[in-house]
Amino acid sequence: MFDLAYFSQTLVNGLSVGCIYGLIGIGFCVIYNASGIVNFAQGAFVMLGGMITYVLLTTLHLPMIVAGSIAIIVVALLGVLIERIVVRPLWDRNATMFVMILATLAVQIVIERTTLILVGDQPKSIPVFTDLPPIRIGGVSIGYQTLWIIGVSLVLIALLALFFQKTLVGRAMRACSINREAAALQGIPVSRMLALSFALSAALGAIAGILLTPTQFTAFNVGTPFAISGFIAAIVGGFGRPFGAFLGGIALGLAQALAVFGLGSGLKNVAALSVLLIFLFLRPSGILGAAK
Amino acid sequence: MPTLPTTISTNAGLLLRYLPAVLAVGLIAYAIVAGGHFVTLAGFALIYAVFVTGLNIFMGYAGQASFGQNAFAAIGGYASAVLTATYGWPPIPALIVGAAGAALCAVVIGYPTLRLRGHYLAMATLAIGLIVYEVTVQWQSVTQGYMGISGIPPLGIGSWEVTSDRAQLIMLSIVVTLCMASAWLIRNSRFGRAIVALSGSEDAARALGVDVARYKLAAFVVSAVYASLAGSLFVHIVGFVSPEVFGMHMVILGFTMLYVGGIGTITGPLVGAIVINLLPETFRGLKDYQDLVYGAALILLLIYAPGGLASLGNALKRRPSTPIPATAPKGARP
Repeated sequence: MFDLAYFSQTLVNGLSVGCIYGLIGIGFCVIYNASGIVNFAQGAFVMLGGMITYVLLTTLHLPMIVAGSIAIIVVALLGVLIERIVVRPLWDRNATMFVMILATLAVQIVIERTTLILVGDQPKSIPVFTDLPPIRIGGVSIGYQTLWIIGVSLVLIALLALFFQKTLVGRAMRACSINREAAALQGIPVSRMLALSFALSAALGAIAGILLTPTQFTAFNVGTPFAISGFIAAIVGGFGRPFGAFLGGIALGLAQALAVFGLGSGLKNVAALSVLLIFLFLRPSGILGAAK
Repeated sequence: MPTLPTTISTNAGLLLRYLPAVLAVGLIAYAIVAGGHFVTLAGFALIYAVFVTGLNIFMGYAGQASFGQNAFAAIGGYASAVLTATYGWPPIPALIVGAAGAALCAVVIGYPTLRLRGHYLAMATLAIGLIVYEVTVQWQSVTQGYMGISGIPPLGIGSWEVTSDRAQLIMLSIVVTLCMASAWLIRNSRFGRAIVALSGSEDAARALGVDVARYKLAAFVVSAVYASLAGSLFVHIVGFVSPEVFGMHMVILGFTMLYVGGIGTITGPLVGAIVINLLPETFRGLKDYQDLVYGAALILLLIYAPGGLASLGNALKRRPSTPIPATAPKGARP
C-alpha cells in the first residue's frame, strides 16, 4: 500500500542528497570547461572535506566553522597540487584523454589509501550544524541539516553565477571553456586558469563532503560512489553546463529516492548507475543538450 | 627509470628489449623448482597475466578503454564458484559456461557502450564494473554477499585434480603460454590487423573496409573471455571468492601491470604481472600500502615511461623528445 508520508520523506531526502550530487557535478564541469579533462579524482575531494573536518574537530577541538573552513582551504590547495604534479606534466606531454583519466583515477586510489593508513577504516561522522529537533510538516520531518544542505547549495549556485558573470576571473574562465587558443590570444593566462579550476572544483567537492557527512558518515572509500553520482549529474545536465549539472544532481537524487522507495535501499547504487547507462545510450548530450 | 647512456650499441638495446621477458620466464621456472611461498606469488602473477593479456587486446591493440574488465572476471569467477561449489559441476564445464556468460554479457553491454567515445566510454565501463560488484554483494541467495563462497574444488578433469602447488603452477604456466600464443595469433591475423588499424584512425580503417563497430565489439568480447578465464582460474586456485576479489583495485592493478610491461606488446602483460607481483614482495603483507604504491607507480609510469619496460630497448635507440603515444604504439612488433 502507498504511504504518502513515507513517500514525501523519501523525496525530501532525495532532494538534499541531489543537491550534493549537483555540487560534485559542478566540480566536474568547472575542470572540464577549463581544460577538457574529466577529473576522476573528484570523489576524493568530497571524502577529504568531511574527513579533514572530522580530524580537526576531534583532535584540535576547533569550532565547526573554523574546522570546515580549514578543510575547504586544504582541499583546494590539494587540488592545485594535483594539477601541478600530475595533470600538468601529462598535459605538457600531450597525453591522451585515456591516460589522463587513468592518472586521475590513480590519484583517487592514492588519496584513498593514504587516508586509510592515516585514520583507519572505521566510518566517521561529524555533528549536525544546528542541533535542534527536525521540523515536522504533516508526517514529514525535515532535519536542519537538510535545510543547511539545500540552503548552502543555493547560495553557492548564486555565488558561482555571480562569479562567472561579473568577475574578470570568472569571465576569463568561461572564455577558456569556449575557445582556449582565442582566450590565450586575448592575454588570458590559460594555464593559471587550469590551476584555479582545480582549486575551485576541489573546494566545491570539500563543501559537499562537509555538508553531507553529518547526515551519513564518511570513510576512506566513500569517494568513488560520489564521484560517479556527480558525473551522472553532469551528464544528465549536459556535460560542461555547471547549472545543468546541478539540476541533473537533483534529478538523480530524486530518481534514486524513488528507486529506494520502490525497490529497497540495497539497489540504490545500481539504480543510479542504470540512470547513467540509460542517459549515455539514449541521450548522451543530457536533458538540456551539451554545452557549446 | 634510470637514465641510460645513449652510446650503448643496438645489440645491447636488443638484449634489453628481451631481457624482461627472459627474466620473467626464469622467475617462474625458479618458482616451480624452489616451491614454498614463492609459488603462491608466481601463481597470482600468472593469473593476472591472463587478465592483462585480455586487457591488452582491447586497449593495446584496439586502442579502446575499458575500466570495467573486473566485471567479466567476476562473472567467470562466480560462475565457476557457484556451479562447482553449490551445484557440484565439474570445473571445466563450469569454466566454459562462465566464459560463455562473460562473452554474452560483453556483447549485450558492448553493443550500446562501444558507440560511446572518450570519457563517456570510460565512465560507462566503470559503471558496469561497479554494477557487477553491487550485484555480487546484494544477490545473497547465490553469491552469499560479503561472506563469499568457500570450498571451491581445484581444477581437474574427472578424478584427476591439480592440487599440489607445483602442479598448479605448471598448469598455470601452460595456460599463460596458450593465452600469449593465442594473443600472438590474434595480433597477426586479419582480425588483429583490423583492430590495430582502427586504433590508429577509425575513419582510415573504415575507408579500408574495416567494419569498425563489429571489430571493436569482437575485441571487447575476446578481452572479456580472457578476463573470465582469469576469474575462473583465481577461484579454483584460491578455493574462495568474495566480491572484494574482483573490486576496483583489480582494474588499477591490471593497468599498472599493462603499463609496466609495455602496452601493445605480446610479452608485456606477463612481464608486468610478474614484476608487480614478485618484486615488491616487501609490500605484500601490508595490503593498504600495496595499492598506494601501485597507484603512485602508475602515475609516475604514465608521466615518465608510457611505453613500459618493453620499450627500454627502443629508448636506447632513440630518445624521443616527444614520448611514444601511450595507447597502441603502432610500431610495436610482437
